[in-house]
Amino acid sequence: MTKISTLSDAVASIPSGAHLALSGFAITRCTMAFAREVIRQGISHLTISQCVGAMDADILVGAGAVDRMIYGGGSLDRFGRLNCVNRGIEDGTLAAEEYSSLSVTFRYLAGALGIPFMPIRSLRGSDLMSQLKERSGSNIANITDPFTGEQWPVLKPLLPDVAVVQVQAADKDGNSWITGPRWDNIEQVRASQRTIVITERLVTDETIRQNPERTVIPGLFVSHVVELPFSAHPTSVYRTYDYDGGQIQAYVEATRTPETFRAYLDQYVFGVKDHWEYLERIGGLAHLSSLQADPVLGY
Amino acid sequence: MDFDYTSSELMAVAGARELQDNEVVAVGLGLPVVASFLAKQTHAPNMTILFELGVIDPQPVDCGVGLADPRVWYRANVLSSFVDILGEVLHRGRVDVGFLGGLEVDQYGNLNTSLVGDPKGKFRHMIGSGGANDIASCAKRTIIIMRHEERKLKETISFITSPGFISGGDSRAKAGLTGGPSRVITDKAIFGFHPETKQMRLLSIHPGITREEVLSTMGFVPDVPEQVPFTKPPTREQVRLIREVIDPQRMYMG
Repeated sequence: MTKISTLSDAVASIPSGAHLALSGFAITRCTMAFAREVIRQGISHLTISQCVGAMDADILVGAGAVDRMIYGGGSLDRFGRLNCVNRGIEDGTLAAEEYSSLSVTFRYLAGALGIPFMPIRSLRGSDLMSQLKERSGSNIANITDPFTGEQWPVLKPLLPDVAVVQVQAADKDGNSWITGPRWDNIEQVRASQRTIVITERLVTDETIRQNPERTVIPGLFVSHVVELPFSAHPTSVYRTYDYDGGQIQAYVEATRTPETFRAYLDQYVFGVKDHWEYLERIGGLAHLSSLQADPVLGY
Repeated sequence: MDFDYTSSELMAVAGARELQDNEVVAVGLGLPVVASFLAKQTHAPNMTILFELGVIDPQPVDCGVGLADPRVWYRANVLSSFVDILGEVLHRGRVDVGFLGGLEVDQYGNLNTSLVGDPKGKFRHMIGSGGANDIASCAKRTIIIMRHEERKLKETISFITSPGFISGGDSRAKAGLTGGPSRVITDKAIFGFHPETKQMRLLSIHPGITREEVLSTMGFVPDVPEQVPFTKPPTREQVRLIREVIDPQRMYMG
């Protein structure tokens, strides 16, 4: 069966209530087109996890698609905070399980390796630890090191239903290249039941086979491959296109109140039928070509 | 003194002076970036700079808006992952210095970047940890750099995101952590920590600032030795490097 899929079909494979690991980091390689389609299809009650909260999670939370977030804190860098996530935490509509970047990574890594728990040095003595114990007693515990007798906090594996990962290139089987830093994406994929790859470019099997050392996601983990240029817009994809500062600024402004955010969704999510109409709405090819990355700088 | 410098420039220079050649430094964005690149371009050419998301030793030519901006990854030696940097370098124990900013710090060097009270008495959720808790827990020492204001330097903070000396004394060791904060650099002074009580201790006051100005604008009384020297001012070359090479667009220095 072919894994090549439309965005709409790949999104439709996700049941409400699923746990998704998203590949975004602040304002880079965020699964934005995917998130917009999830919102259009009305999929809800999601759990979202990622090591650093990013714009893809924030738009889903703002649209009311997320019940629970497992993350290590985050922001939209200098553009602003994750206003929708923060508002959800403050008004109690979002259950947030908040860690540090490494502790979420270690939870994915434990899941990826199939081990029962992962010891960590971080979190000790902090209120992140006390808050986690209060809110999710079963995901963090203490253990005595059987070799030294030392006490260690241990984390439960994180096993998402689906990892959704933006990549620069993938073949029809889902063998994928990520150019640039990969933050938690490798462990997210391996910890998850299956992975949806959203690729800027579909490449031939031969392209992958000529440079297999670049393959960071083996196809065996992948259920769907969606080819969709500019699908991380307005966030950046290293060596492909830069972030769109104007559009991120507009997003941050819109997220200041639920009303202005609703207007943003009407304009950029519900007001367009698909990703191609979205790209027209934000300025089309003339605008997008101005974001293309310089081959030396990578942005 | 025949040239001007700003308080941010002095902070960045003071931060740079804390870094030694051949050290491995985990850096958060903002002033820590300027301080680290300044050290690297002056007295610490063999220092290794790490960004948590998987970047080792970048040489940016443009300023970035954050760690997620490819501008700050430019000409890196390595582009890898959290497991690589926060795990196999930091958690492994190979990071000498963690360089952190914060919204609030208390007298024991604990940092809050999670919850801040607003004037109506409600808590606002801010940015949380990112890699800051990991760096504060695992680096051999941490340097904290932040503005000197009463609402930022507090006797107690509402949330410990990243541990310093926790409740002072040996409480950090009892929690199973080594290392800890070595310096707090503000725009008025530089602090260290008392070797026993682990309370913040005034080490130097920036030129042009009085002891009274330092102490009246913080929410707790630090340990103050009899003699407190002035902080060494930046050199002309350090200020030139910051303005012309490291932060020409003044994105980090404001």
